[in-house]
Amino acid sequence: MAILLSVIAGPVYANDTRYVEAMQKSIQSVYSAKSIDELQTAVNSLERIASAEKVKWEPYYYMSFAFILMANQEKEPARKDAYLDQANAAIEKASAINANESEIVALVGFIHMIRVTVDPASRGAQYSGLAMQAFGKATALNPENPRALALTAQMQHGTAKFFGSPITDACVTLNAALQKFDTYKSDNPLAPQWGREMAMSLKKECN
Amino acid sequence: MVVIRVPATAHPRPSTVQLLFFFGVAPRAHLYRVIAKVYMRLAFVIGMIMMNIAGFSQVKISGTVTDVNGAPIAGANIFLMDTYDGSSSLPDGGFEFNTTESGKIMLVSKFVGYKDFQQQINLEGKGVYVKVVMEETINELEAVMITAGSFTANDDSRRTIFKALDIATTAGATADIAAALNTLPGTQKVGEQGRLFVRGGDGSETRTFIDGMMVLDAYNVSAPNTPSRGRFLPFMFKGTSFSTGGYSAEYGQALSSALVLDSKDEAESSRTDIGILSVGADVAHTQSWKSGSAAAKIQYTNIKPYYGLINQEIDWKEPPVTTEAVAVYRQRVGKEGLFKLYGNFNRAHFSMYNHSIDDYTQKYLYDLINEYAYLNASYRTSLNDHWTLRGGASYNFIQNNTIAGVESFDEIEKALHAKVVADGSLSDKFELKSGIEVIQRSYRHADSVSMPVNLSGRFDESIVAGFTEADLYSSNKFVTRAGIRMEYNSLVGKASVDPRLSLAYKTGSSSQVSIAYGTFRQSPKNNWVIQNPLLHPEKAEHLILNYQYIENNRTFRVETYYKRYHNLIKFVDGNPDHIDQQGKGYARGIELFWRDNRSIKNVDYWVSYSYLNTERDYIDFPYAATPSFASAHNFSLVYKHFIQALKSQLGFTYSYTSGRPYNDPNTEKFNGSKTPYYSDLSVNVAYLPKPFLIVYLSCTNITGRDNIFGYEFSSDRGDNGIYQNRPIRQPAPRFLFVGIFITISKNKSVNQLPSL
Repeated sequence: MAILLSVIAGPVYANDTRYVEAMQKSIQSVYSAKSIDELQTAVNSLERIASAEKVKWEPYYYMSFAFILMANQEKEPARKDAYLDQANAAIEKASAINANESEIVALVGFIHMIRVTVDPASRGAQYSGLAMQAFGKATALNPENPRALALTAQMQHGTAKFFGSPITDACVTLNAALQKFDTYKSDNPLAPQWGREMAMSLKKECN
Repeated sequence: MVVIRVPATAHPRPSTVQLLFFFGVAPRAHLYRVIAKVYMRLAFVIGMIMMNIAGFSQVKISGTVTDVNGAPIAGANIFLMDTYDGSSSLPDGGFEFNTTESGKIMLVSKFVGYKDFQQQINLEGKGVYVKVVMEETINELEAVMITAGSFTANDDSRRTIFKALDIATTAGATADIAAALNTLPGTQKVGEQGRLFVRGGDGSETRTFIDGMMVLDAYNVSAPNTPSRGRFLPFMFKGTSFSTGGYSAEYGQALSSALVLDSKDEAESSRTDIGILSVGADVAHTQSWKSGSAAAKIQYTNIKPYYGLINQEIDWKEPPVTTEAVAVYRQRVGKEGLFKLYGNFNRAHFSMYNHSIDDYTQKYLYDLINEYAYLNASYRTSLNDHWTLRGGASYNFIQNNTIAGVESFDEIEKALHAKVVADGSLSDKFELKSGIEVIQRSYRHADSVSMPVNLSGRFDESIVAGFTEADLYSSNKFVTRAGIRMEYNSLVGKASVDPRLSLAYKTGSSSQVSIAYGTFRQSPKNNWVIQNPLLHPEKAEHLILNYQYIENNRTFRVETYYKRYHNLIKFVDGNPDHIDQQGKGYARGIELFWRDNRSIKNVDYWVSYSYLNTERDYIDFPYAATPSFASAHNFSLVYKHFIQALKSQLGFTYSYTSGRPYNDPNTEKFNGSKTPYYSDLSVNVAYLPKPFLIVYLSCTNITGRDNIFGYEFSSDRGDNGIYQNRPIRQPAPRFLFVGIFITISKNKSVNQLPSL
């Protein structure tokens, strides 16, 4: 049995190593990209991996994340929305592969959150509700996920600022998130790492 | 014997989990990890060997990516299908990458806004050069839009000029749809009626549709010469499309304008809303569940306490009291279906005294009870990826019991409208919409006392209509919409055909021109049809030219039009008992619109200007003249400012309307006199002390200008030989409104701002 497995798992695992290596390179290029063009190049390499690896959620997750970053850089509202549409299409594919991954659900909420920023007055009521719902679900799926908590804090902070109310709730959530950033370790080598810097900059507001 | 192939990457590889499962091993994560650890090293070694082997047969694939016109496309993703091998195209469209693959393999190129490109290539150890030519898709972001005559407010779609929220936050409109739209070009302010008067048309020429279904009389009743408010609350709708001409063949029975309201598909969460207003109170509850939601609202309005406070021009016996109930039910059916039911029930009563122009001590009672019901059921579903089917039925009931002096009369109007429409995209460049509809309408009028002209009578009208409309995109830059509407009217026993055509061309990445032409029909007003049931529908022709520039929260728009009326009702030799349809008229004008949500932080403002030149020869006009509802110049400035520190949104609206004609029987010329200009400065403040609490304050006409809408004249010459006049004024110089709105929901940040 062991021998048999070695024959099977060997080559397949060689692919997995290749997958992990290719992904790590692409993820790094997402994290380090400075312009929309660089992000597009990173998205393209992720899309190539996704097209070959049909049961992996990570390529779609990072594609979606890269589109969110593009939307953040874009100023024109209609184009911003178009990037968010692409982010949404990608995360839906990730979700179809692994519906109960906390990271995926948190990213769905992130997309809703950016939708609010396009037109807070018109969209606030609808999309802030959807975002909070997603963050709540992501935290329920994995209470250790620091990004779900950090995004919740971000949303609470934005809402409090919009209405001019105190940001106490946001700071409580943020402290919990910062703690999780220190303790949480995923056994997936491709697990998302982003969010700590965003949380740290929000932390300044709480002091 | 199990054959394990060295992964031939041209085929989809089975995943580790799939393989383990094949051998009866439970695909558990811990097991997977154990196997991983043990065989990692071996796998790595095998991997290295493979790569080394592959290294011998590495080939270079290069080429260019262009669009059909040969322009380079940068950022396209070119790769070999089901492999990691590929690259992005450079700014000059060029690309190159190496691969270890061999044999026949599919080369794919993907880029947003373009159709996927695929071409089989043969790798035989030599480099391959591929010319990739990508065809653009018609997509929402880039495609030209048909904009002639239309203002679309829809939070779902992009690049809209007017948002649903604008209706609620426009000062002076106090959440009335018509009043908010009155700040857009193409409309004329008729202060004493409050309805939408579009491009030289009267208020009845604008038809309201809810979810595609017709609405009879979209306005609440009001005392003569006082403005009426729309029956439908803006927060019920997710989208508003207001067309001032050239609208789709789907919409009939409207001469001048179509106001198309789309009700919301779903509620975000369960909530209860309570409003305490200076003129009444309302309570609403929304319950949402996984696949649907229901909402109900009860509103009671009594202006009496308010009228006690502020002096009114009107001699009320009983000021208006209105009780209104609104209910909504929405349910998803299966994956694609959506069923919506909407009901609006309203009872209003008021009575007042009209005083004689000659002798103020002589007064006549005017008393009106109005009962109104509107029910609308609609269903929408996707048949497949390309076709959607929607259908619906609406029922309208209106009863008016009026006492006017010594006589009284009762009116009942009922209408049933049923419609089925299929929308299909036969390709991304060709969309088709076809449908049929039936409108069954009955009207009964009974006078208690026979007047000089007894209007008693009734009619039943059936209209059967069919329409079809095609959108053909030659590219993202050019679209043609051609439609035709056929209508058969049972009273006349004749069918009519109305062509509609629109073209739009994109002149730049943010600008476009469009042109629209069409003919439009509407049955004459009920009192004329009673008099002569064989009357043909009245007819209008629209020709519109539009230029629009939208870029990053700034919009500029200019539109010019020519409109012709035919078949209008006309008294033969001035005798109201003898009518024919020789009446005609025209309207032409130019309109400008500028909106800027960018230049000043936290400020959103827009400016509209409309010029109108119109004349008609109809009803009792002795010759062609400008009707009394038409004004040559209309100007609006709407300004909204959100002040974070005050937790408030401040807004003001300034409106100006040049003098309107009126007929002074003391002068020779018909409609030859003009009223003074109209102007109004309205302000509002929305204060949000807590996320779930809003205090709203608004005041119209803060300068207290005494606007005069026209003059009434006594029917007989006085002793001095002249007809006495009396100006038609605003019922009160200002309308002050205070409201407190509380929302109770799980999510504490939800409030009623979007519905205000």
